[in-house]
Amino acid sequence: MNPRRQKRLMGISAIVLLVAAAVWMMLTALSENIDHFYTPSEIVEGKNGAMPQVGQRLRIGGMVVPGTVNRDPDTLAVSFDLVDVGPIVTVSYNGILPDLFREGQGIVATGRLTEFDFIVAEEVLAKHDEEYMPPELAEKMKGIKHVKPQNIGAGQ
Amino acid sequence: MRKVTIFMIPLTMFVVLSIFLYKGLYSDPRQLDSSLINQPLPPFSLPDLMQPEVTHTPDVFKGDVTLMNVWGVWCVTCAVELPYLTQLREEQGVRIVGLYYDQDTDPDFGIKSIPTIQKEVEVKLGQLGNPYAFNIFDVKRDYSLDLGVTGAPETFLIDKQGVVRMHHIGDINPRVWNNKIAPLYNQLVAE
Amino acid sequence: MFAELGHFSLILALLMSMLLAIYPLWGAQKNHQQMMATAKPLAIGMFLFTAFSYVALTYAFYTDDFSIAYVAHHSNSLLPWYYKITAVWGGHEGSFLLWVLIFAIWTVAVALLSDGIPKAMVARVLSILGMVAIGFYLFMLWASNPFESLLPFYPVDGRDLNPLLQDFGMIIHPPMLYMGYVGFSVAFAFAIAALISGQLDSTWARWSRPWTIAAWGFLTVGIALGSWWAYYELGWGGWWFWDPVENASFMPWLIGTALMHSLAVTEKRKIFKSWTVLLAISAFSLSLLGTFLVRSGILVSVHSFASDPTRGLFILALLGIVIGGSLILYAVRAPQLKSVGRYEWFSREVMLIGNNLLLTAATMVVLLGTLLPLVHKELGLGSISIGAPFFNEMFVYLIVPFVLLLAIGPLSRWKRQSPKALQKHLIVAFAISVSAAFLIQASYDQMTYMATLGLVLSGWIFVSTIQEIMQRTDASHNKERSLLKRLTSLTPSHWGMVFGHIGFAVMLIGITLVSNYEEEKDLRMRPGDVVELGGYAFQFTGVRDLVGPNYSGHVGIVDVYTDTSLSEKVTHLEAEKRFYPVQRTSMTEAGIDSGISRDLFVALGEQLNNGAWALRLYIKPFVNWIWAGAFLMAFGGVLSMCDKRYRMAKVAKVKQRFAKLATPDVEASNVATAQKVSQGQA
Repeated sequence: MNPRRQKRLMGISAIVLLVAAAVWMMLTALSENIDHFYTPSEIVEGKNGAMPQVGQRLRIGGMVVPGTVNRDPDTLAVSFDLVDVGPIVTVSYNGILPDLFREGQGIVATGRLTEFDFIVAEEVLAKHDEEYMPPELAEKMKGIKHVKPQNIGAGQ
Repeated sequence: MRKVTIFMIPLTMFVVLSIFLYKGLYSDPRQLDSSLINQPLPPFSLPDLMQPEVTHTPDVFKGDVTLMNVWGVWCVTCAVELPYLTQLREEQGVRIVGLYYDQDTDPDFGIKSIPTIQKEVEVKLGQLGNPYAFNIFDVKRDYSLDLGVTGAPETFLIDKQGVVRMHHIGDINPRVWNNKIAPLYNQLVAE
Repeated sequence: MFAELGHFSLILALLMSMLLAIYPLWGAQKNHQQMMATAKPLAIGMFLFTAFSYVALTYAFYTDDFSIAYVAHHSNSLLPWYYKITAVWGGHEGSFLLWVLIFAIWTVAVALLSDGIPKAMVARVLSILGMVAIGFYLFMLWASNPFESLLPFYPVDGRDLNPLLQDFGMIIHPPMLYMGYVGFSVAFAFAIAALISGQLDSTWARWSRPWTIAAWGFLTVGIALGSWWAYYELGWGGWWFWDPVENASFMPWLIGTALMHSLAVTEKRKIFKSWTVLLAISAFSLSLLGTFLVRSGILVSVHSFASDPTRGLFILALLGIVIGGSLILYAVRAPQLKSVGRYEWFSREVMLIGNNLLLTAATMVVLLGTLLPLVHKELGLGSISIGAPFFNEMFVYLIVPFVLLLAIGPLSRWKRQSPKALQKHLIVAFAISVSAAFLIQASYDQMTYMATLGLVLSGWIFVSTIQEIMQRTDASHNKERSLLKRLTSLTPSHWGMVFGHIGFAVMLIGITLVSNYEEEKDLRMRPGDVVELGGYAFQFTGVRDLVGPNYSGHVGIVDVYTDTSLSEKVTHLEAEKRFYPVQRTSMTEAGIDSGISRDLFVALGEQLNNGAWALRLYIKPFVNWIWAGAFLMAFGGVLSMCDKRYRMAKVAKVKQRFAKLATPDVEASNVATAQKVSQGQA
């Protein structure tokens, strides 16, 4: 192997290594920051046969069950239940709720699953149902049978 | 030749990207229509908006081809389509049934009494035209959720057997009617 | 009536664009002077008809003509007149009209300001712009007509403009952004014209440089305004959210930045030609892709007045033709692009291409993060979203090598730089920037690695930029001349670079300090309550009612003092929460006291029981530096454009003079001779 070729080979392998390292770094960063979207029933019953792991970051979309919004009288801490077709998941959040947060409305929260049915949210988003529903939620809610939230509360 | 291959890379990337964009375009949640298509309407038992003592069930759709239009007075897009719907009723004899829900039964905006709602509806329909044979009042808004309604206005085309044949999201205007709804509607009427 | 004329005018503009696409190009291929000469009047015609159409729509908004569907959906009789005028671009159809208007403006600008460029080249460039324009006019007339009528039945009043858009920032943000987006079409057209004509030397790079810089400057300002708007209007105190709409504008900016630098290398050193052409195609392609992503509803779903998917399909087809076509042309022609210059591993060329690659990698990261949710869903793997931490982490990795190269690049020589000669500079720069970073951080309570890193990097840019100026002024001029004289002898385009880089450093300082040292409190406060945050005392005085022209709401009043004794008042803040009845939406207007070293930010949340309100308080150190940096960068762009070299007419005259002296014009001759000449020189 002549020196010119050797130099060239070194150059190419350096570039390949660099690209590989960059891709690896990107994939690592990506896998840590993908927020999968779940509905309350998918959190409790699993999604595509897999249960979400406690400690995992995720997004959840559902309807706020009327009468479950509890506020701490001294701080901004708030908790509420979310429902879609049956199981209920509780979300706790410390901060200002969005302008359009209402009982019975669809909301999307991003946060971490700390128990199998309990989420500590970092962000809560809500928009007027009539004008907008987060696309993921709209898709999930198409054609599924809705159990009336009050009936669930009574049934359990 | 080897060089040409390198210069093909951007093109290849773009083609792959376009395929996903194309697929994405059609898997838009608005287009992936509900599993309700070609299914009978889910059961319900809801009061009439104007005469709450009357109760409607899916039987009201038996025998006629009907457009069920989800709307509310608070919905401005609905107000825009009301005149055209009225025209459809008057000129083509289309049977249109309203599925009414009111966001103002929301306590944060103050609970509205049924007479207030009826009054608002009367005023609105008086101004813009009344296309409805009657209005079903979705009191708790859960029937609209059963139907997969994500907002207003939305319209369902229901055949003589009470089976949902089409779900349209957004307003109905002449273009939508002529291109999307009318062909199937006429075919269903002729059946 | 006026609206119908507007519609008709749009059809005429389409006709103009069709003629523009055919005749000048045909003329250029056949070397037919008269056909080439049609380019200018056709471009002017296209502009005038589009402008008339735009004025007609604006007039319809101004006069509350709700018989036009688009006006009914995006305006309201209660809207103040200035918002009526800006509501023209508040929705899909109108913003497209603005888009094509701006496209026509750029086209006509190229037609009028290209005296120094060979007629055949201008004809080709304008023809290509005409071709792109055809697609957009067809799209508007076919699938997205802003003049669609609601007659005979129309609403008594309109649906109102989205309250988020009823704001000064929103008045100027879209036009600026579109100026940038669309401006890349010029560089694109020059590149394609070069590929078509087979005139593959680097002259096209010189001609398209000022246009690219102009587009980039507009885009910079546009993005900065959008970020500033999000900051004070959304009430979250954030200035960048990595949401798809923002990403769509950020990608062309990254590639545009790379293009701007790559064009400089191609012009001066006649290398990286195929890379520069690819960047020119990519910058405009990403602008189109951004338009598609935002407008097709593929990423953002807005429910009311759901657009039919034909629109999305149409834009996608347009993308396929424009981008696909140019990439095919590229694949065929690019192998003929030969770079003639030589350079070594450690040289300014390599630093510039290195940063080009880093900017491209950054674009890839943004593209991946934006489109992965879509791909993931299409592969049947479920819905996901990519969190902001992904982007932040990747950008931290990318920025370190980027800044190193950015700082060393201008200090290095073309062709070959001895690393040893830079050693002294680098050590000085490193020492100064590290000490500066520690000094600045000493004023904050704790130090973080990230803050140190960010400050060292920005200090590094500052110091090396100053070193570069010193190097230039020392080398090229007699020491006896005053410093001022020597400084003014630097060319405007040189100062453009200096401002661009300093602007970037200023922005980096802002980003670093606000990300690491901001203080935030979400609080429950009753009137009279006082809370301390970041060395200030915030007193919540109470809430009063608010009545606006088309909204009502509450104003939360907060007085800020230097300490809890409430003796010395700093400022009085009013944070509004507005409710827009027509659209039934609420809006936050934050109360902000801006300063050079910090912003005090108050947003009003919801009403709680016992007369208490939720309040969000922020102290944002150096946040304004982010936008100041962006404006400095754009100012650098303006300076570069003022450079005499770009005054085409003058350049042409000089060239003529040289032509008389029978100097062989290397750039105008074909590639083969150019190569021979350079080989001869080497």
